[in-house]
Amino acid sequence: MNLVEKILARASGRPSVEPGEIVVAKVDRLIMHDLSGYLTSQVFEKRVNTPIPDPTRVVMVFDHHYSPPTEQQANVLQHNRKWAAKHGITLHDCGNGNLHHAAVRNGHIKPGMIVVGSDSHTPVHGTLGALAVALGNDSHAGTVLPYGKAWFKVPATVRVHLEGTPNPGVTPRDVALWLVGRIGEGELNYRAVEFAGPYVRELSFWDRWLFPLLCVDLGAKCSFVEPDEVTEAFVRTLPGGAAPELLVRGDGDEAEQVLRFDVGEVEPQVACPPTVGNVKPVREVAGTPIQHAELGGHGGGRLEDFRAAAEVLAGRTVHPGVRFNLVPSSREVFAEAAREGLVLALHEAGATWFPPSTGSNQAYNMGALASDEAMISTHARNFPGRNGSPDASMYLASAATVAASAVAGVITRADDERGNA
Amino acid sequence: MTGQTFAQKAIQRASGTAGIVPGQIVDAYPDLYMSHTASWRCIRTLEKMGVDRLYDVDRVAMVMDHISPAMDAKTAAHHALCREFAQRMGVKHFFDVNSGIAHIVLMEHGLVRPGQFIIGTDSHSTIYGALGAFGTGVGFSEITAAWVTGKLWVKVPESVQVVIDGELAPGVYAKDVMLKLIGDLGADGLTYDSVEFSGSYVEGISVSERMTFCNLAMEMGAKNAYVAPDDTTLAYLDEAGVPREELEVLLPDPDAAYRATVRLDGPTLAPQIAVPHTVDNVVDVGDVAGTKLDQVFIGSCANAKYDDLVIAAEVLAGHKVAPGVRLIVTPASAKIMARAAANGVLTTLIEAGAMITNPGCGACAGNGGAMTDGETTLSTANRNFQGRMGSYHSKIFLSSPATAAASAIRGVITDPREVVAEVVA
Repeated sequence: MNLVEKILARASGRPSVEPGEIVVAKVDRLIMHDLSGYLTSQVFEKRVNTPIPDPTRVVMVFDHHYSPPTEQQANVLQHNRKWAAKHGITLHDCGNGNLHHAAVRNGHIKPGMIVVGSDSHTPVHGTLGALAVALGNDSHAGTVLPYGKAWFKVPATVRVHLEGTPNPGVTPRDVALWLVGRIGEGELNYRAVEFAGPYVRELSFWDRWLFPLLCVDLGAKCSFVEPDEVTEAFVRTLPGGAAPELLVRGDGDEAEQVLRFDVGEVEPQVACPPTVGNVKPVREVAGTPIQHAELGGHGGGRLEDFRAAAEVLAGRTVHPGVRFNLVPSSREVFAEAAREGLVLALHEAGATWFPPSTGSNQAYNMGALASDEAMISTHARNFPGRNGSPDASMYLASAATVAASAVAGVITRADDERGNA
Repeated sequence: MTGQTFAQKAIQRASGTAGIVPGQIVDAYPDLYMSHTASWRCIRTLEKMGVDRLYDVDRVAMVMDHISPAMDAKTAAHHALCREFAQRMGVKHFFDVNSGIAHIVLMEHGLVRPGQFIIGTDSHSTIYGALGAFGTGVGFSEITAAWVTGKLWVKVPESVQVVIDGELAPGVYAKDVMLKLIGDLGADGLTYDSVEFSGSYVEGISVSERMTFCNLAMEMGAKNAYVAPDDTTLAYLDEAGVPREELEVLLPDPDAAYRATVRLDGPTLAPQIAVPHTVDNVVDVGDVAGTKLDQVFIGSCANAKYDDLVIAAEVLAGHKVAPGVRLIVTPASAKIMARAAANGVLTTLIEAGAMITNPGCGACAGNGGAMTDGETTLSTANRNFQGRMGSYHSKIFLSSPATAAASAIRGVITDPREVVAEVVA
């Protein structure tokens, strides 16, 4: 069995499981943000309203809001706070990071766990070797909260094997975006997508993170990277350290299909409106004016992103027509960025720091665009109307491309921006 | 004939009218017209008037501070309109959403100078008196009119001297002095008066503390406020890049006529708190110590300057914000953010559990920090009116940054002298 099958077999008390089987499995973690927590709690209180056994399994992170601009939005957060306190649910309040980064940084996710959440990017926790799946709010309220369980149809696995050496200036984020374009949106419906191969093995934990993150756009049920020494070393740095009793490694080769790619073919990429799958080489849209740039969201706001931006911005300043937002993915990243001097360096280059959160994602607390404005960001989504006006445009790219574009005022390859210096 | 007050001299300079007296109405030509995020209202009014020529575009200063960044497509469109207008008209002093609070930004950039007459679309424009300028708040229509005609009528105010002598006790700050004065004199105590601060305490304080003074003078009804420029002022202006030879310092005459003189003794003052729901409802911190808090806000043009953040960081160093309490810190300007990032103040605040937001008005102007029914915030801002921060059924208390930081650690309103003593012991 592979990792997904082994986790499901253990959690459902079966000796083995096969793709297509439906099992009821014990859930180790339910993670929710302020919006999904609100909806889940409403259904739970109205329709279920039982005690929650083992509420320490349940984690809520306020991330779409960091500082509510209206009383109505404050009411949502206050409702969630009271609900979390009533049941003993772990709450990370405003300013502690976005849901998935805060969940990892605070030690809530460990390899081998079954993690569910209503955020569509929940499968990102497959980076740790967990089985992480996005469910609906009603499923959380109806089965996960009262019973600690959920049903799963065991997915068939597709292995994405990445090899080769990336060209200079090509970052893991470019490779990840390129894959969405190559494989195609919705092409791997309900599959478990394993990211493997020498390219993946060489990546750091936070660079691997960018691959399971995108599986939802392929239509996948979940995604994973087989845990190895990189995973284990990373997990040891987390609060609570490793949970070796949960660790699972696959011992079979159950992939239904293997997709092989040479990352040497990749050049810097940008996902253009209106969907994540509309991926093009940066050079094809170079010159497109942008008024907003942002490092943040589940695909950005990492230390790696701020370091990359600092490198691009060294000796340069943000274009006067551009607002460049920096949104750390967690309090830990913000503190480390401050200690490393990245906060000062990027601020002095003309960028603006915002509280650890999901930043402009869906524009609950910031990041609304006027019609005809455009933003380039490291966010995970670019659907029209997600950030203010439905006539605004959102482009998704690597931190280096975002930073270079913030300097140029138009979409630009980072190596072009360096070349212009 | 008796001598002249600062207000008489400033309005005489701005109006070109000699020998003016309190109560007289004259046309004055402001040196600077400040408008904030709501500049779009002025632009729309201008369009309705069908005018496209400004009297002097170099006197226009726009700062996108009250809603920064945009919270929805509508405010994003307002910002876009202001940017487009500034570019089309050649407004040099345009400061976008990443700059900070208008008052602080303009002073840091050397746009506020002693003796000037400055109007702004914000009631706390009295703050410009910290540099010896005449600053006063006006409406959007007045700003639009000044854009076109270059002038605005003004009634010459009477003047009141406020004299504060002696050092303050440790743990007591400029904010406490002002809250005490506002409490004693009342929200209408100095209505339409020009307030001249003086005394040994005022002479010894920084420009930042003088900003807190002149900012909060508005809450006693002042038309404008003033601290006589001295070496401290000159050093600040040097740093802001104002050439000394361009300075036109105006000092009141020793025999000027004042409507009243108010005195306050510095050394006997305790930390003060303005309790809901008016700024003049002021008590000693001990009277409300123990009041449970949900949120603490260190921000606003009154108290989010660099030294305010330093004081907060000193109190918070080695402590954590109490569980269940949200501490929001909003630096007043991008320059202040840079200083705080450069020397570890920011790191201390982040590690203590504060949430640092982008520079601007933030929660003070209702863009963030909204409360729900029954919640309580302790704020370093200048207003605590009912419903200003979200729910009509929430409460705002006002204090100094030291009291705010100490209270964030304990989760209840706390005399900062207790926490500082704890650190020393």
